Amino acid sequence: MIEVVKDQEEVETFGLMPRAMHAVASALGPGSGRWFIVAGGIIIGFIVVMSLLAPLISPYDPTTLFVGPDNSPPNAKFPLGTDQYGRDMLSRIIWGGRFMLTVAVMAVLLCLAIGVPIGLASAYRGGTVDKVVSLVMDSMYAFPSLVLAIVIIGVFGVNAINEAIAIAVVYVPSYYRVIRSQVLTIKELPYVEGAKSIGSKSRHILGSYILPNILPSVVVVATINFADSILTTAGLDFIGLGRLDLPDWGVDLYYGRAALPIGAWWIILFSGTMIVLSALGFGLISEGLAERRGRE
Amino acid sequence: MTLRTYILTRIALTLPMLLFLLSLVFLVMRILPGNPVLLRFEKNANPALIAEYTHRLGLDLPLWQQYVNYLTGLLHGNLGQSMVTFDPVANQILSRFPATLELTIGAFIVAAVVGLVFGSTAARRAGGKTDGTVKVYGILIYAFPIFFLGMMLQLVFGIWLRWLPIAGRMPAGLIPAGLNLGSVHIQTGLYTVDSLLAGNIREFFQAIEYLLLPCLTLGLVISGVFVRMTRSNMLETMKMEFVTAARARGLKDDTVVYGYALRNALLPIVTIMGLQFALLLGGAILTETEFNILGVGSYLVDRINFRDYTAVQGTVVFLAILISMVSLLVDVIYAYLDPRIRL
Repeated sequence: MIEVVKDQEEVETFGLMPRAMHAVASALGPGSGRWFIVAGGIIIGFIVVMSLLAPLISPYDPTTLFVGPDNSPPNAKFPLGTDQYGRDMLSRIIWGGRFMLTVAVMAVLLCLAIGVPIGLASAYRGGTVDKVVSLVMDSMYAFPSLVLAIVIIGVFGVNAINEAIAIAVVYVPSYYRVIRSQVLTIKELPYVEGAKSIGSKSRHILGSYILPNILPSVVVVATINFADSILTTAGLDFIGLGRLDLPDWGVDLYYGRAALPIGAWWIILFSGTMIVLSALGFGLISEGLAERRGRE
Repeated sequence: MTLRTYILTRIALTLPMLLFLLSLVFLVMRILPGNPVLLRFEKNANPALIAEYTHRLGLDLPLWQQYVNYLTGLLHGNLGQSMVTFDPVANQILSRFPATLELTIGAFIVAAVVGLVFGSTAARRAGGKTDGTVKVYGILIYAFPIFFLGMMLQLVFGIWLRWLPIAGRMPAGLIPAGLNLGSVHIQTGLYTVDSLLAGNIREFFQAIEYLLLPCLTLGLVISGVFVRMTRSNMLETMKMEFVTAARARGLKDDTVVYGYALRNALLPIVTIMGLQFALLLGGAILTETEFNILGVGSYLVDRINFRDYTAVQGTVVFLAILISMVSLLVDVIYAYLDPRIRL
């Protein structure tokens, strides 16, 4: 009787939603890496909720100049102080994650849309195509990602889509490498061979047999991609290739740098901490998931 | 495979990579609107003047011809002239390179020391509290934007405590002389080396003072990656028979871990670290900008704002060649020291 119930559960996990819930439940279950995932999840959850609720909870408009005195240290009226243009830092912190997170989500989606099919096809087909694609990907992988991002943004201009493209261009090779090495192993396994021998089409084999097995590693790469994307966006902001008109943690650091000589620590400390927290949150989740994969 | 064939194969594999990167940057820079000539003049400037400048820069030629010209020049070691100042790009890059080199070497030393100490300590107590702490350090330091860490260090050590300078490489106007012996004149552009060559110890320590914060900033951020590499490499080594044998002989734990395992793992670890040179160079861009160091990285940032095609292209090509050469060099030294690699 117990056996039957167990089977029932396993059948149900084939639906997409139950399957996703199953994945979440197993990621949060006891075992190594659990606390990394929980801690990272709480940090990211907090930041996402804060960004979504920004219009409701921010005390001032984040871009209005001189809502208070300029360069004011934290006080009762402005808990995190004001910047050199008299803008309220607390409001800027609350709003400051929106642009970065949007860029990060778009970049990750782009990477998935480009990297996964290329990785699958290249590794599965092999031969000359695989060699050429690998060479191209390796040459991009070996190059400092920030340099490519600077060139792309510097030439195409600053906006969310271009930043996402710049990040995707430098990050697709990472997806490609992970996916390719996994597919090369999986495609030699007996069940893939079995599928081939009963005449399954390549598309079916890739989609139904190989893709589900590489997904966990893709998720690990995607979480690091989120962290790197936030750091890259901040780096571009810092060298002046950001949306300087938006409330943004990286942009605050760009302005805060000018106020550093007068010791206005509050302009950089809180924004910088938010960037660290976001990257840390995704880094923790990624580490936890990777550890879990190692155990299996 | 002999060492010679190995080196030749490596070079043969590097060339198409370089060509691909170069072509990518060439194309991206040209197919888009906004060029250096238009950026130089107002919208209503004399059309004849614009035409003359466009011609002088070779921008009126068909794209394929510009590409061929550029490649031909490159083969002769010519990176072209700046489209804004008309100076040879190669000279400008070379004059700025010593600053970048000094910064990256210093940062590498910081990162390698932190990486080796933390990484081997973590591996020694794998799974324990120390290991967990080191792991969290790795994730946390990786999450720090380089310039944010730089600003905080500047704030604390430069502005509040006033212990260290926060910008530039030397006090204004001071450039170490290098070696001057009759007709022999050696000036490397590396301020630490030049001041020593000139026999000026005070300038040497001054140069070090200026280097401390930037190198610490870049080195610490990179150290997270190095800690991780050291740890996993040490774990592999500690599973080997000679380590078990050393333990079986009753040697002290310290001696086994540092005297046997680390000593043997050191070469591969430092090799992998050397291959992370691209990571250092990428970080150097932000560090140079933050600390006002006139290096190759800040040159790139500076030139991109002027749409100086040839300068940006030249910098990218220069960095790509540099990275390939370093990884080739590291590989060859390693292959020379460890013949198993060549098999």
